[in-house]
Amino acid sequence: MPSRAFSIEDGNLGNKSILTSRREEYSDIDLSFAKKGSGDIFKKSSGASVKQAVRNLLLTNFSEKPFLPRFGADLNSMLFRLSTDIDDDTLEDDIIKAIETFEPRARVLNIKSNISPDTNEVNITVTFQIINTSEEAFVDVSLTRLR
Amino acid sequence: MATTIKSTQLDFDFIKNKLKEKFKEQTEFQDYNFEASGLSNLLDVLALNSHFNGLTANFALNESFINTAQLRSSVVAHAETLGYIPTSYTSSQAKLKLSILITTTPRPTSVTLTRGAIFTASVDDVSYTFQTRQNFVASDDGTGSYEFKTGTGLSEIPVFEGTEKIKTFVVGEKSDSQIYVIPDVTMDTSTIRVRVFDTLTGTTFTTYTDIQDAVRVTNDSALYQIKEVPNGYYELIFGDGLSTGKAPVAGNKIVVDYLSTQGTVANGATTFTTNVALSVSGVNYPLTAVTTSTSAGGAFKESLESIRRNAPIAFSSQKRLVTAEDYRAQILANYGAYLDDVIAWGGHDNVPQIYGRVYAGLKFKSNIDTTTQEDVKNQIKNNLSENLSIMSIDLVFAEAITTKLVLTTFFNLDPDLTSSTSQSVENLVQSTINSFFATNLRKFNKVFRRSNLLTAIDALDVAILNSRMTVAMQREQAIDLNQSATYSITFPTTLAEPDDVNRVITSSLFTINSKSCSIRNALNSNKLEIVDQDGVIQIDNAGSYSQLQGIVTLVGFAPSAVQGTLLKVNALPANQGTIRPLRNYILDIDTGNSLSTAVIDNQNTLVTL
Repeated sequence: MPSRAFSIEDGNLGNKSILTSRREEYSDIDLSFAKKGSGDIFKKSSGASVKQAVRNLLLTNFSEKPFLPRFGADLNSMLFRLSTDIDDDTLEDDIIKAIETFEPRARVLNIKSNISPDTNEVNITVTFQIINTSEEAFVDVSLTRLR
Repeated sequence: MATTIKSTQLDFDFIKNKLKEKFKEQTEFQDYNFEASGLSNLLDVLALNSHFNGLTANFALNESFINTAQLRSSVVAHAETLGYIPTSYTSSQAKLKLSILITTTPRPTSVTLTRGAIFTASVDDVSYTFQTRQNFVASDDGTGSYEFKTGTGLSEIPVFEGTEKIKTFVVGEKSDSQIYVIPDVTMDTSTIRVRVFDTLTGTTFTTYTDIQDAVRVTNDSALYQIKEVPNGYYELIFGDGLSTGKAPVAGNKIVVDYLSTQGTVANGATTFTTNVALSVSGVNYPLTAVTTSTSAGGAFKESLESIRRNAPIAFSSQKRLVTAEDYRAQILANYGAYLDDVIAWGGHDNVPQIYGRVYAGLKFKSNIDTTTQEDVKNQIKNNLSENLSIMSIDLVFAEAITTKLVLTTFFNLDPDLTSSTSQSVENLVQSTINSFFATNLRKFNKVFRRSNLLTAIDALDVAILNSRMTVAMQREQAIDLNQSATYSITFPTTLAEPDDVNRVITSSLFTINSKSCSIRNALNSNKLEIVDQDGVIQIDNAGSYSQLQGIVTLVGFAPSAVQGTLLKVNALPANQGTIRPLRNYILDIDTGNSLSTAVIDNQNTLVTL
């Protein structure tokens, strides 16, 4: 049976595999700005990079990012609200909406929020899947009064 | 290296995208394109910083030049460096005949009307206060009638709109370096009076005058400068005791009075009333006011565009009258409240050439009456020309001559492309033509360019497919009826050559030999003939026209009546595409005879002709 030969320019399928997908390697700077012994700053890569981005997103308030006023989860807007005004469902909806809109690398799996009016605290745990690797990760965000 | 910077290149998004493109060239960090990433946050900071720096630099650079500055404070400051002081609000000024009648005897030989006599007048149902700014004296004419006169003997007394305000300053120590601020944006600086009293309570004072009016300055000259500052207020500055005249000393009192005015809105007042009465021997006699010139000349602060235009010209004129532009600059700077435009030219450029003269054409604002026009001309001669011009040069005023253009416009209209009727599109086209004249013409040195107007018409509506226009010039000539006379009617450009199809010269109707006739040129000839409405030639040699000089000459012309009040003579220009008016000619449109007509065009190329 005759074999089909392609030119090198066309991939020469006879002796070269066809690239059907490409894995995107995420890499970001570490926002702690800690430095290595060499003096370079540390990198965040793969899941850690996405996790950092999600945390970033959750801790950003509306109008903080230049020319993108609706970026962020706006959690700080809860700061001066009455505890009775804060609603779990609304909070979760806001977080899901923010991640779906601004972080395409993550799919939210679960959000747990724990509102403690007595200690003036809100704890949020967002569990998400990193789409590229199917790896699961979670981010804890705790909002509490300083004094 | 880029020679131009587009303002859009300073946009935040543009800068950030550029930074992202730079990141694409490396493999170390890949997350620059995700808005939540740390890299994106850093790029935000970089881009925002560049954005603000770029904008600030752009604004600062714009404000650095008089042509591009947007802030009034910047434009005024640039003008100041050119030695140009922008005009403040200007009071509207009217002229009145003022008199009193004293019937009892004995009568005084003269009476004095002290400054500050108040008059009231209304414009558009709004009342305005006018007042005199100096004392006037009237003498008994023998019958008990006293008519007040100016220092030069004129009986037209100027009154100015506004409210008098007084500011008193106490002069501090020299080391205090005091600046005297007058916080009033509507001050008319031309009405300011500055008196410096020796002591706080004394009555002896020295009147300081504006340094702009000074002919010679010594260390003892009593001069002040007044200038507009960034917040729109005014500052009063005195000499330094050396090169710019003397300065008030500690313990002196400065009293400044001026009019705070409403500007333009008080123009046009015709009737003035007053409650002023003069007391003579204990009896009050009312003052009678008769208007001789309606109020005019009121203006708001000089606009930014005006400052931009006038400051460089004033700088080049250096407050002297040598070149034609000097005359234009000085006249506009001093009498701009009365004038729409000014043009000046030397006698050597005049037709006919007359050396030793400068001609100035003035276009007055529409509300300026003839008495005020003559007064302004006299002031220009007396105050400007005689003080600042070169000896033996005479200033002659030339009337602004308006040449009207009769435009016949046709445009192809596809009715399928518009919901408007052809009539409404015709009206739109005609109103566009009219506003084109209002915006681009009606001033000296403004050239009519047909293609520019046709471009504007074509852009009006997608349904207008193309347009064309014939242009004729029209001059109006006053005629002495039943008097045989020669008339020379000059057009601002060369005229078309005669041919065997078109009449270059035509006219409105008039009566001659008891027949309604008009003028036209004979075909293929410069000779003019008078024909009746049946086309029968009544006079076969009524004059001629000079194609190159643009002059139409009527010889022995003696009609018994003229349609309307003036004879309208139309002429086709040699170049209908460009009408360039010379010297004191101004182009306007004859709205009554200019027509726009739609030609329906369905863009169907399959029909027969």
